[in-house]
Amino acid sequence: MSTPEASTTKKVQVRRYKPEENPKEHYLNAEKGVWAWMTTIDHKKIGLLYLGSITFFFFVGGMLALLLRTELLTPAQSFIDADVYNQVFTLHGAIMIFFFLVPSVPAALGNFILPLQLGAKDVAFPRLNLASFYIYTIGTIFTLIAIFTGGIDTGWTFYTPYSTQTGTNVLLMTFGIFILGFSSILTGVNFIVTIHKLRAPGLTWNKLPLNVWALYATSIIQVLATPVLAITLLLLVMERALGIGVFDPSIGGDPVLFQHFFWFYSHPAVYIMIVPGFGVISEVISTFSRKVIFGYWAIALSSLAIAFIGFLVWGHHMFVAGQSSLASMVFSFLTFLVGIPTGIKIFNWLATMYKGSIDMKAPMLYAMVFLFLFTIGGFTGIMLGSLAVDIHLHDTYYVVAHFHYVMMGGMVMALLAGLHYWWPKMFGKMYSEFFARISCVIIFIGFNLAFLPQFVMGSQGMPRRYFNYIDQYQAFHQLSTIGAYIMAVGFVIMAGYMIHSLLRGKPASANPWGSRAMEWQTSSPAPHHNFEHIPVIINGPYDYHKPMSEFQLGIAHSTNGHQSFEKVDVNVKSAEEKA
Amino acid sequence: MSGHHISSAKFLWGVAIVLFFLTFLTVAVTWIHIPEPWNVVVAIAIAVVKATIVVAFFMNLWWDSRFNTILLVMSIVFFMILIGITLLDTLFRVDPIPTF
Amino acid sequence: MSETSAETKHPAHLHHHFVDSDQQFESSKMGMWIFLVTEILFFGGLFAAYIVYRAWYPELYLEASQELDAFWGAINTFVLIGSSLTVAMAIRSAQLNQIRGLIINLWITIGLACTFMVIKYFEYAEKLEKGIAPGIYYTYDGLEHEKANIFFSIYYMMTGLHGLHVIIGIGLMLWLVWKAKRGAYHSEYYTPVEITGLYWHLVDVIWIFLFPLLYLID
Ligand SMILES: [Cu+2]
Repeated sequence: MSTPEASTTKKVQVRRYKPEENPKEHYLNAEKGVWAWMTTIDHKKIGLLYLGSITFFFFVGGMLALLLRTELLTPAQSFIDADVYNQVFTLHGAIMIFFFLVPSVPAALGNFILPLQLGAKDVAFPRLNLASFYIYTIGTIFTLIAIFTGGIDTGWTFYTPYSTQTGTNVLLMTFGIFILGFSSILTGVNFIVTIHKLRAPGLTWNKLPLNVWALYATSIIQVLATPVLAITLLLLVMERALGIGVFDPSIGGDPVLFQHFFWFYSHPAVYIMIVPGFGVISEVISTFSRKVIFGYWAIALSSLAIAFIGFLVWGHHMFVAGQSSLASMVFSFLTFLVGIPTGIKIFNWLATMYKGSIDMKAPMLYAMVFLFLFTIGGFTGIMLGSLAVDIHLHDTYYVVAHFHYVMMGGMVMALLAGLHYWWPKMFGKMYSEFFARISCVIIFIGFNLAFLPQFVMGSQGMPRRYFNYIDQYQAFHQLSTIGAYIMAVGFVIMAGYMIHSLLRGKPASANPWGSRAMEWQTSSPAPHHNFEHIPVIINGPYDYHKPMSEFQLGIAHSTNGHQSFEKVDVNVKSAEEKA
Repeated sequence: MSGHHISSAKFLWGVAIVLFFLTFLTVAVTWIHIPEPWNVVVAIAIAVVKATIVVAFFMNLWWDSRFNTILLVMSIVFFMILIGITLLDTLFRVDPIPTF
Repeated sequence: MSETSAETKHPAHLHHHFVDSDQQFESSKMGMWIFLVTEILFFGGLFAAYIVYRAWYPELYLEASQELDAFWGAINTFVLIGSSLTVAMAIRSAQLNQIRGLIINLWITIGLACTFMVIKYFEYAEKLEKGIAPGIYYTYDGLEHEKANIFFSIYYMMTGLHGLHVIIGIGLMLWLVWKAKRGAYHSEYYTPVEITGLYWHLVDVIWIFLFPLLYLID
């Protein structure tokens, strides 16, 4: 990518700024009142607003999932009829993907952490950032109206021709998601500019935290893919409103074209969901292994490689949809390529842990769970990508299990790792380590119990999206349902200790994990403008062999009068790009 | 400073006149009926030249930071991917549109 | 509010998280370029639909585009290119601190944009009268091809979305005029003029492709 052109080396006077412990003033109490929260342009608060929203939608989507699993306890209909079942699984999918997963790490954690990791005071366009949050809110309102005025039963993919013919409220729902897309786009625009323009002095591209690289790759996908979703949904809306005949075969259109357009976004979208998770995992593994990350450039560039290759593989969702066999073969081949950069990441993380002094704190525990589950999810994805196997497995529970291993086992675990990792920085409080580990183990057990049986019954032929089934699958379905309940218990425990932490958690120190990363070199919770000084970076974010003092430097003249510190001259490459 | 390039009025008028001429040209070539695939090629080629001129000299990309050019090229590349791979399907189907 | 960069003078338009005006200007411009990338891919979906159907039914496009009047299409192309010129002149005026010139050029641009929309309106009206409406409302029987309605659906989607962008552009420029009259812009700060200009040129570029693709299929 564009390296800082004509980077000039200049001398600046720096001194060490030790982060203040237990600050009296921080971003949470800088402005008070509900109105101040609603109109804040502080990226940290906007991040928390997103965090609250995605928690809410995760709860809603999770409840819907439990409803589905409860219905599936018995082969025959028990308490939900087929139409309601269709609506519930559609909502579960749409809410979890568009309202929870897509904004989870980029918009919630990313907003909070990105400027801190860059040593910036805010994102490049703070007001635009707030606007994206409200666009997100407006999108959710439209969707809620759609749910209460007819619902939607197309599945989260809105395939034509069914979506143009069903009596449910596809129009409002797709319009809501159309609006939501702009929120995602604007966040992407904001992040790319922030990463390019607002890096602290000395923070050159080869010193960027890997989380920032991951967010960068994610933003690129958001910016390139989301507009195509927008136009696809707009065409779908027009198809329903005017019958324009581009997608609807009954008036001369081609439904497979809709799938092309839809998956041009939605395959890269799974990388919007998972790549920022990779970033979190890189941070957590390095911090808790006390070791410089293995293969920095391999991890950084594999994020970009995934972002790029992710655009070439969308047709693997359409092997049996009637696309030409030439296209299927090309897509199948290209799909295998995605495994390469993903494998590179996994190996580099393992190599980072090798001979590190590993500290199995809760975030690291979640990272381990991630590695285990995501690897299973990834491998089963390769199987689904192979042409012949997919004919058998297509639209079975095998696909459902694969997707949940990647998205829940991968992305949600990464989100939880990040949440536990940055929690002290967000709220200045510690949570109960004991209960955090307990709930992690419970979720791990529940998850595998819920989704491993689905691989088996899927390969035996159980189709997805059915509200009843033949008796031979009952044992698998019951195991799966029990697993889902166990997972729910894990999340209830998590909610318990998180709320307890907020109310009466022990105060967190500025750097409870002993990390070298920049976001930990300011007080917890962070000050209103992130740093009380202008940070200067001379080392990489994972240089654990260098003393902590070298990571707490800031420009010397912006002091508040204390002159007793020793000042040092360092040479920094100007991070700011001037071309 | 890269971002503050100031073009002279004469230069801007010159650019516009070239664009006007190319617009006339693209209409004029339709009068001589170039045979099938080449008429599209010519029309697109002229449009690309016109767009390039607008982008380079009206949008000042010529003097701008290189990253903005990369962005533009990227958008075109990804559009090509969208259309290229989609055509890989639609052009090679046994039955263009499955009949229902 | 602890202001850390108090050592330099702090112009009114500079936000606190930027080091200087140049950084802020370059950031805004980069942001706009990224947004234009999304616009290109947004229209890209429609162009893709256009290309797919044209590859399937070349004769449909040949036949149906006869209904479009290349003369008015060409006039509209001239109008939009002219407005691109005046926007470029407006930015030049702002750079040279000629606020009067800025406002005049913006007004001319708005006038040209309105001209474009008026011509577009007459084109639409003429077609709708004949029954060439989008989708299932298509009732025209002057064309033999059974998928003629799809060509016009794509035509209406593309030109309609483009027209919407023109209207948004008019709104943005009215806002610029209003701000310029209140002295918001000068040679040190004209970022909104610059990035609105970028947007407007892109609208022009898209039309440069739409014109031959829709009107000039001979
Ligand atoms: Cu996929």
